[in-house]
Amino acid sequence: MSSTTAQALPSRSWVTDKIFLGLPFAEYLKSLATPGNFVAGLIMAVGIPVIIYRFAFGLGAATNLSQTNPWGIWIGFDMLAGVALAAGGYTLATAVYIFGLKEYHPIVRPAILTGFLGYLFAVLGLTADLGRPWNLPVPLFISWGGPSVMFEIAWCVVLYLTVLGLEFLPPVFEWLGWKKAYALATQATIGLTVIGVMLSTLHQSSLGGLFLMAPTKLHPLWYSPFIPAYFFISSIAAGLSMVIVESGLSHRAFQSRLDHHVNLDKLVIGLARGASIVLFAYFFLKVQGVADSGRWALLATGYGYWFLVEVLGFILLPSLVFAYAARRANASLIRWTAAWTVLGIIINRLNVSVIALNWNSPDRYVPSWMEVMVSLTLVTLGITAFRWIVNRMPVLNEHELSGTRES
Amino acid sequence: MIPHDILTLYSAKMIEYGIAICFLLLFIPFWKYVQGPSVAIAPAHARRTQSATSGAEWFPIPVDRLFHRGHAWARSESDGLVTVGLDGFAAKLVGPLASVALPQVGSLVGQGEPAWKLVADDGRAVEMLSPLDGTIAEINTDLAASPETTQLDPYGRGWLLRLRPQRLRANSTNLMSGAAARRWMNDAVAGLQRTVSPELGALAQDGGVPVTGMARIIDPEHWDLLARTHLLTDDKENANA
Repeated sequence: MSSTTAQALPSRSWVTDKIFLGLPFAEYLKSLATPGNFVAGLIMAVGIPVIIYRFAFGLGAATNLSQTNPWGIWIGFDMLAGVALAAGGYTLATAVYIFGLKEYHPIVRPAILTGFLGYLFAVLGLTADLGRPWNLPVPLFISWGGPSVMFEIAWCVVLYLTVLGLEFLPPVFEWLGWKKAYALATQATIGLTVIGVMLSTLHQSSLGGLFLMAPTKLHPLWYSPFIPAYFFISSIAAGLSMVIVESGLSHRAFQSRLDHHVNLDKLVIGLARGASIVLFAYFFLKVQGVADSGRWALLATGYGYWFLVEVLGFILLPSLVFAYAARRANASLIRWTAAWTVLGIIINRLNVSVIALNWNSPDRYVPSWMEVMVSLTLVTLGITAFRWIVNRMPVLNEHELSGTRES
Repeated sequence: MIPHDILTLYSAKMIEYGIAICFLLLFIPFWKYVQGPSVAIAPAHARRTQSATSGAEWFPIPVDRLFHRGHAWARSESDGLVTVGLDGFAAKLVGPLASVALPQVGSLVGQGEPAWKLVADDGRAVEMLSPLDGTIAEINTDLAASPETTQLDPYGRGWLLRLRPQRLRANSTNLMSGAAARRWMNDAVAGLQRTVSPELGALAQDGGVPVTGMARIIDPEHWDLLARTHLLTDDKENANA
């Protein structure tokens, strides 16, 4: 049965190895036939034509936006919530590279990738929302509006998206096997992290600062001079929660790609501790905002009850449950709480930008099905891109089967 | 009136100061509670792992290998090939070997399909399953002269073959490593202990170490059937046929 004669074996092409996961093309296509891909394909089959329709026929034809309600879910969900949930990138990178919490290193790469894709698709959502997106270079390069908050946000987001792209280059170069480029990219990590923290601090808070200009439009319970601080602090909790959720889902979905010697539950408990403290402080700051405006009486109205649901149910409650679950080392409860917090952040951003904005106007905004479809498509594209990258590049592990590893 | 306005102002500020003080007073115990040591591990699987660590202690799981449930391991190399071997459990399960019958270079093997045979010194043979799909690129010729190397050094010099994988990513989803592999190994040892408790059970209680040829000690007459059960080849073609 045995033989010792070595023989020449056919070598696989670069495309087969790197793109088709080492499978012949026909077999690779077969491997794509999964229920998840079917659902994603269905969403994109409807959503991409809708996006084309929006650019072909304009905002008026595709959305329920109006002069009274110029901002809809593409701003509230895609941009504001998307950017907040993408904050895991700077939060984790700061923890590991600036504060030296090296034990969280195994989850930095997925956090940065989530951040990069989050910002990328938030920008795409913003492009869909702009009436004349082809004029985007004008405020960026030609006619600067220095005093405008919008100007600061635009530049920060553009720069931070670039920084996130650069921060994610090490795994890309590792995947390509470009050792010199990889060494250069890793050397730039700390510098990029510092720039990333500065830019994130600026624009996460500035996104809240936008609403300082709308004291008469935003419901008094949500309007506060502290709103930039609310946005910044809640983005930290959002980022930590998103990393917990993303790492849990990746742990299930990409079992074969994981670094199994990493105790993910232990890392998740640490993140939960951080999120618990941040949410605790955020809760008191929200209460302080109500006290500052002296609008206690409004709590007994319909909007007030909804405000209490957000503050008690989606800020204080997850803060306490995170603390309890961290003490009990209950990673499962932590993951559910993180998902709850992510939902709370989305609700908060929608409250500020859609639900509680123009609250006293008779002309209420309800998104059209095409707006919902575009948002759903962008989320699906983001998840698909995440899966495509994780299945090929060393994101979840540093002990790639290919043998390359970060030094 | 000015006095009234000042009072109103102080009244509003008092609430804000009160909230700030409440926050600071509550923050200290809250911080202590959150940062305190975890008091218990809730998930049941964690307790199970703790109570059955002996399996993984006996048969360590190298972090750079992927394991198939048929007790074979795979490790990818920088040249694109994958080295395959049998794990410590399989090495100890089957008794002293007379030879290892390896497939020919260039032949195809499939994940979960019989790929090689361990031939014991009593002439009986036990097949093992390939952990991956692929074409055999090289076999360990040293084993012809010293088959016992597979038992002395199963993760090193005792490797069996190197193959060119065909569906590495897809196959990898059926393999285990790290904590998952340790849990599986614990279960494998526990399963063997349940098969016959007096002989091996005593060994576990005493903190001893497994000996080569565990299956023969447990069931001298039908040890090959027992070995096939644990190496998942009991429903395959009989190795002696």
